[in-house]
Amino acid sequence: MMDAPLLPLFILLTSLLASPILFALPERAAGLRTSINLSMAALKVALVGWLSLKVAQGVIYDLRFEMLPGLEFKLQADPLAILFIALSAVLWLITTVYSVGYLEHGPHRARFFGFFSLCVAATVGIAMSGNLFTFLLFYELLTLATYPLVIHRGDAAALRAGRIYLIYTLAGGLVLLLGTLGLWVLAGTTDFTPGGVLADVAAETPLAAQLLFIVLIGALGVKAALFPFHAWLPIAMVAPAPVSALLHAVAVVKAGAFGIMRVVYEVFGIETAQELGLTAPLAVLAGITIIYGSLKAITQDDIKKRLAYSTVSQVSYITLGVALASPIAAVGALAHLIHQGLMKITMFMAAGNLAEGLGAKRVSQMDSVGRIMPGTMLAFTLAALAMIGLPPLAGFVSKWYLAQGGLDAGQDWVIALLLGSSLLNAIYFLPMLHRAWFRDAASDKAGAPGRPRIGWMLAAPPVTTAVLVLVAGGLANAPFSPLEWTRFIVAIEYQE
Amino acid sequence: MQLLAFMTAFATPLFLAALLIWPQARALVWRVMPFAPLPALVLAMLANLPLEAQAEWLILGLHFGLDEVSRLFIVFTALLWCAAGTAARHWMRDDARAASFGVLFAMAQAGNLGLLLAQDALSFYAFFALMSFASYGLVLHMRDAKAQSAARLYIGFVVLGELALFAGLALAASQAGSFLLADLRAAAPSGMAVALLIIGFGVKLGIMPLHFWLPPAHGAAPVPASAVLSGAMIKAGLFGMLTVLPLGSVAYADHGTVLMAAGMVTIFAALLLGVQQDNPKVVLGFSSVSQMGIVALGLGAGLMVPAAWAVILPVLVFLAAHHALAKGALFLGTGAYAAQTGSLSRIAVTLALLIPALVLAGLPASSGGFGKEALKTALAAGSPVWLPWLTVALSLSGIATTLLMARYIALIWRNPPKAPAKMAAEAVLLPFISLAAAALALPVIWPVLAQDMAAPISTAEPGALWPVGSAVLLAAGAATFAHAQHIGPSVFLAQLLAPFNALGARVDSVIAAKRRAARRVGHAVPKLLGETARRWRLGQTAIAGLIALILILEFGAGLLAETPAASPTAPPPAQIFTPDF
Repeated sequence: MMDAPLLPLFILLTSLLASPILFALPERAAGLRTSINLSMAALKVALVGWLSLKVAQGVIYDLRFEMLPGLEFKLQADPLAILFIALSAVLWLITTVYSVGYLEHGPHRARFFGFFSLCVAATVGIAMSGNLFTFLLFYELLTLATYPLVIHRGDAAALRAGRIYLIYTLAGGLVLLLGTLGLWVLAGTTDFTPGGVLADVAAETPLAAQLLFIVLIGALGVKAALFPFHAWLPIAMVAPAPVSALLHAVAVVKAGAFGIMRVVYEVFGIETAQELGLTAPLAVLAGITIIYGSLKAITQDDIKKRLAYSTVSQVSYITLGVALASPIAAVGALAHLIHQGLMKITMFMAAGNLAEGLGAKRVSQMDSVGRIMPGTMLAFTLAALAMIGLPPLAGFVSKWYLAQGGLDAGQDWVIALLLGSSLLNAIYFLPMLHRAWFRDAASDKAGAPGRPRIGWMLAAPPVTTAVLVLVAGGLANAPFSPLEWTRFIVAIEYQE
Repeated sequence: MQLLAFMTAFATPLFLAALLIWPQARALVWRVMPFAPLPALVLAMLANLPLEAQAEWLILGLHFGLDEVSRLFIVFTALLWCAAGTAARHWMRDDARAASFGVLFAMAQAGNLGLLLAQDALSFYAFFALMSFASYGLVLHMRDAKAQSAARLYIGFVVLGELALFAGLALAASQAGSFLLADLRAAAPSGMAVALLIIGFGVKLGIMPLHFWLPPAHGAAPVPASAVLSGAMIKAGLFGMLTVLPLGSVAYADHGTVLMAAGMVTIFAALLLGVQQDNPKVVLGFSSVSQMGIVALGLGAGLMVPAAWAVILPVLVFLAAHHALAKGALFLGTGAYAAQTGSLSRIAVTLALLIPALVLAGLPASSGGFGKEALKTALAAGSPVWLPWLTVALSLSGIATTLLMARYIALIWRNPPKAPAKMAAEAVLLPFISLAAAALALPVIWPVLAQDMAAPISTAEPGALWPVGSAVLLAAGAATFAHAQHIGPSVFLAQLLAPFNALGARVDSVIAAKRRAARRVGHAVPKLLGETARRWRLGQTAIAGLIALILILEFGAGLLAETPAASPTAPPPAQIFTPDF
């Protein structure tokens, strides 16, 4: 196979170049826009497939451009990056199909898809950033690209949500800038290096290193919706369903969680971070977020809001797994990056279908929707059961590894935490399933819907991702499953 | 090849569940439903033990296997699902939600059969969860208020059990460094892990205080579902304990004590709660709880004294099969009873129901009788401190079960359960009769089926009659009393005396008739006598004869003065007529 050193750049460009074209296209050119969107997304999936094959063979891609003396723009494709790129590439394709169906007759489609592409480009950039500086650039780009998507509807609620979103993320970005500078000053480099670059600093001036850890994790914790920086996420769910799906599954929260991984594994190094005594508090904070998010989710009647709080809870599994400083827990954390994405995108797209097809936006409107939209609700059901952690679904695999990792790290409380989380998950998901499948619809339902009018572009994506949820869990041990890939990564991160 | 056999065993019902979504296939699927467990049954009957297979690429690597114990579990489980599938086919014929029932029924079946084949913690947990969660829809099927509350309770306990199981398995797997069940057993999990596992499986088994879900769920579910819930699925809890806990190798004295105490309480508290119920199927549910208390005694003894486990295990497996068949027959029989319209056929079904009821109660020489005696013998190998209590408890449990069965029989007469309106009267009879026959024949079948594991049963005493007998008397007394209370004591007394009064009246009338006849004779005789007497001068002759007789008697009395009179003169019979000389 031909060797292409610029492959990572091409992957970045598929969505980055698509963006201005999409902006330029007139509103009416729906067919052309759709074909550009889909072909780019499909091309990207293919390229990512190629890239991951290469990386699996041991090739490490490393592209540098010196921007200022000593300040490099650096793209690299290591296994950890592949994990995130693969997630974003596959889900971008699926979400694009869904968005086309969802916004079929909506206004401002050119703007929407332009920013949508930009947002995905930023995500890919974050994944492939080879140093914290590059990471910061794409991190800020992501903030700016998602803002127009959040306020897409343009009404008062959307604008308010957008404002709150901006305040949180820009503040987080500012702190990240500070942290990047701090790292530059302390270590003289911002490169992501397996094993970390701060071992010496931590030995000499542990206080500075501790402070830097807090600053960086705090900054990234905003996007990762770590308690107490989570408030923007449930508010931002006013965005259209595909945006919420992407935000919750791939783009924003995952960028934060992914950043935490990079910082803990490749800036500090897991051993250094542990010696600084900061992983345990981070694990506790993640634990608090997990329980807090679930508790809040129980009382939400708005479906998307309930899902949003569930995201707050579920994304912290990743942080928890990283902070437990056990390779087994790390496998769980990394696998959950993918698994949570698959599960949550399924649920958000299903929720979007309920809103589109039946006008059902609240849990209390979900009576007997399973009989009206069986495919969508089957997908939702699989994802919900996976969230609760039932085998053989994806969520179980990550939960099992987190539990084993917690025990491996001697943190037995993790079991109790996971049990509590599963219980709360059951408490807020099972009633939805009960309503959908086992309740008869109220007879006086306004304008009793017959067959809902949703096209295949809305119906197919959640079913597809639900199948992926099943496959990711059911074939977790097969080669190229998310779990296998994370084992590959963890072997690298824990080598040093 | 082996893997394919294992996969077919649990994939067949899953495949049927998937087919049911397609409306055109439904009629066919229902026709095939009774045969869905056949691949598992065939595998269990024909395979050379021990059989193993692996699918490394599934979940985190699945391991399947078959040994002596799981083989026996599969045989009775598959049998039960066959019978219930047959019943469900008729029961659901005109049900609006038949398809949804069928999907969940088949999924629960796949889980139940799969968990018996699983040899690693993850696939076991997966199948266990599939079975438990799918059954939610079976409990809820009727959708009425009772089903709603039963299903809520059920799902709450399922989640509790699953969480405990997850934690227990995760702890045990972490301690063992492997998730193969054999390694888990060998590694002797910590007390915490064992406690969590006991809770997780105890929920399914219905051991008090984890039993709350069981009777309402078994009462609320449609008959075919209750049969498998009570017959097959709660045995999954027992099977889980047998396969995951390190029974027979490590002693967990505290856990054993708690389990035994819980078992003791369960046996009798279930009786007290059960006899107060008004729904016959709920009573059967409480009977299941009570029976699982007996199982808990065995499990507790095994945890306490590992050396005794070798003799306890075969008995527990036998008791599981015994309870599965008898209880399955009782539930299906309830359905068969409900489907009958004529009172004659109802009486016939009731008489047939007495078979599994008495078998369950432990009638001597039935599987219940043998099982209980075998368990007594096996427990003798356990803790000597507990032994007297256990023996007494086991004997008294026969009373408890008999009373519950009596209550059940009384209730199906008083509150007969409802069957689907259009169902044919003979629809559920076949599976019911087959299970009842199997339950009756179990002591004969078992030695053939279980081979080496049947030894404790073959050598057991047939059991004592007195617990069943005394309980039947007690129940009869209680029924009488209840009847008296029901209709009012005075009415009851009147009813009670009615036969005697009737008899008296009859006697009176007979006597009156005789009197009339006698009077007629009486009128005729003197006339005749008078004429004859006149002819023979009978009057004088009679008086002379009388004097002669007295003289003779006087003479004789004087002659025999030393000895007491041989025959004192009898008082003359009452004159019922006046001679008219």
